[in-house]
Amino acid sequence: MSFATKRLGKELSKINNNSLPPGIELVSADDFEEWYLDIKVLDNNPLYQNQVYRLKFKFSAQYPIEPPEVVFVKLANRPIPIHPHIYSNGIICLDLLGQAGWSPVQNVESICMSLQSMLTGNNKNERPAGDEEFVRGNRLRPKDIDFYYHDNNV
Amino acid sequence: MPPPNTPDDVLSDQGDSNTLTFIEPDQPSETETTAAMRTARTTEPQTAPSQRGPVILPLDYQILDYADTVDETLLCPVCRTAFHSPIITSCGHTFCATCINRALEVQPTCPIDRKPINKTIDFHQPPLIIKEQLDRLKVKCPNKGCDQICSREHLEGHYEHRCEYTQVLCPSLRCDKRIARRYLTTECMHHQEPCEYCGESVAEVDLADHYDYVCTGASSRCEWCEAAVVHHRLEKHIQEDCPETEVDCKWFPIGCKVSDKRFKVVEHEQDCPYEIIGRLVRERTEDRKLIDSLVDRINALENQANDRHDRRARRSHRDFLLPPSSMGLNGAADDLESLRSSSSPESYMLARFERLEMRMEDLTKQLQELDAYQSSFVLQQLYPINNQLVELASKVGVLNMHTTWLMNMQRLQQRTGSTVNLSNSNMPSANDSPRQDFGTRPEFPDRQAFPIVNLPLRGLVDEPGSQYFRADDRRSSIGRDMNASRL
Repeated sequence: MSFATKRLGKELSKINNNSLPPGIELVSADDFEEWYLDIKVLDNNPLYQNQVYRLKFKFSAQYPIEPPEVVFVKLANRPIPIHPHIYSNGIICLDLLGQAGWSPVQNVESICMSLQSMLTGNNKNERPAGDEEFVRGNRLRPKDIDFYYHDNNV
Repeated sequence: MPPPNTPDDVLSDQGDSNTLTFIEPDQPSETETTAAMRTARTTEPQTAPSQRGPVILPLDYQILDYADTVDETLLCPVCRTAFHSPIITSCGHTFCATCINRALEVQPTCPIDRKPINKTIDFHQPPLIIKEQLDRLKVKCPNKGCDQICSREHLEGHYEHRCEYTQVLCPSLRCDKRIARRYLTTECMHHQEPCEYCGESVAEVDLADHYDYVCTGASSRCEWCEAAVVHHRLEKHIQEDCPETEVDCKWFPIGCKVSDKRFKVVEHEQDCPYEIIGRLVRERTEDRKLIDSLVDRINALENQANDRHDRRARRSHRDFLLPPSSMGLNGAADDLESLRSSSSPESYMLARFERLEMRMEDLTKQLQELDAYQSSFVLQQLYPINNQLVELASKVGVLNMHTTWLMNMQRLQQRTGSTVNLSNSNMPSANDSPRQDFGTRPEFPDRQAFPIVNLPLRGLVDEPGSQYFRADDRRSSIGRDMNASRL
C-alpha cells in the first residue's frame, strides 16, 4: 500500500463520516487514483450563480508529498467556470496546485475550498490571456505547465 | 483495498523507517537451515537467506486503526495518522519523522508555514508528554483475524512476538510468500492445488477461506428447501440456515411449545409471548450466577479473616507466655507444619510471611534496645575517663612549668658563673629578657610559649563532647536504618 493510498483512505473515510463543507460534494472515488467532486459557489456572485462545476483529481503515488492534478471537467450540465485563471479546457492556474505552492498538509477538501473562494472572489468575466492559443497548442499535463503566478488580486 | 502488510507496502516504506527492526525469530531460522539443506541436496538454484527479506514485516503505523477517535492535535498533518516517532521543527510544528523527511526531499520548507528547514539542525525531540499520549492510544491489531486491542506502546510487542496472525515468511526457501504464524508448518503451504469440489486451483493456506466464501463446485440439492448448496457446506446449511428444516422456538427451554419450519419460527420469535419471561429468566440466571460467585468470594474472605484472627490470637497468647528469645523457629515451625497440612498453600505462605514480619519487628525492637543500652553504657564509662584525663593534663602542665622553671634556673646559674668576663654590650637582648622573666615571676607570662601544655588541654576540653555526639549520632543513624528496612 503506497503512502498515497493510505492518506487517501484516511481522507475518504473522513469525508464519508462527517461529510464535506457546504457546496462541495464527492461524486465518485472508485480507486485511489482518480476522484471526481462537484463544487458550487455559495454567495450571489452572478458569474457562477446556480452553476455546479465538476472537478477531476488525479493522484500520483507520491501524494500528498506531490500535488494532485486538478482540472475542471466539461459535461452537459457541468460547464467550465469563467475565470481569468481557468482555461477553457479546464486547466487551472493556481499556485497551490503547482510544485512550489503545494504543501503536503493540503488535502482534497482544502483544495476544493480554495477553488471555491477563488471563484467567489472573482468579478471578471474573462478567460486568461492567450486562452485559445493555449487550449489549441497545449499537450502538456497541467502539472508540467510552467505557470507564472503574476496576479495576486484574484 | 488490499489487506494490510502486503509486500509492496514494505518496499515503499522501508526506505526511511529508521526505528523499525526486522526480527529474526529462532524457530523459522531453524526451518530455514533444514530447507537450505534440502535445496543443496537437490542442487537447485540456491537463494541466500539474506535476500529473502525480513521474517516479519515491520509494523506499519500508518495503517493502524485506533479504537477511539484520535484527537486532531495528535495527527500528523502530512499522513493524517497519529504521529509515529514524531519530531518538532524549529518553527514549532510536529510531524512524523518519515513524513517530514519525505516532504523535505521535495521542498526544504516547513509544510505548514513554509519557513526554511534544515533537518540536521532544525529537528528536535518532542516533549515526553506527547510520546506518552501517543503510547496510551488504544489501537487495534492490524492483522486480519486478530481482534486484539491494546495501548500503542504494547502493539509492537504483540505484533512481533505474540500475535498468532502475524504474517511470517514461508519456511520453504523457494517460496517468498508469507503465512499467518498460527498456520506455520515446516512445509510450504503456497503451492496451488485444484480444489476437490470446484477444480479451481487454490493454495493450501487459502483453502478454508475458499470453501467458506468462494467455492461453487459440486453443489448438492438440499433435501428440505431444494436450494443448491455446495456439498461440504450442506450440513452447516441444514443446521443453521435452511428455512425449511424444523426447529424449536428459541424459548423452548422455558416452555414455548412452538416448533415449525425455520422461516416460520423466525417470524414467530419476533413476537413470542415467552420472550418477556425468557428475558427475565435469562437475567435471573445471570444474576444467580453473579450472586453465587459473590457468596463464594464472601465465604472465602471470611475464612481468610477468621484464619488470620485465630493465628493472631494464638501468637499473642504465646508471646505472652514465652520470653521473646525463645520464640524461635521451633515453635513457629510446629505451628506452620500443622498449617501446611490443614490449609491451602496460599494461606500457608501468608501465615509464614506474617510470622517472619513479626520476628523482624521483634528483632528490630531488640536491636534498638541494645543500641540504646550500649550508647548509655559507653557514655557512663567515658565520663570518669574524661575527668581523669583532664586531671592528668593539668598535672602534666604543672610538671612542665616546674621543669622549665628549673631548667631556666640552672641556665641562669651557669651564665652567672661563666659570663663574668664578657662585656654586657655583646648580647644585650639575650641577656636582658631571661633575667627579667625569671627574676620577677615563677609562673609563665605567655601561654603561646608553651604549646606542650596548651595542646593537651584544648584537646581534652573538646574531645569528650565530640565523642559524646558521635555516639549519639551513630545511634540515631542506626535507628534510621531500621526504620527504612521496616518500611
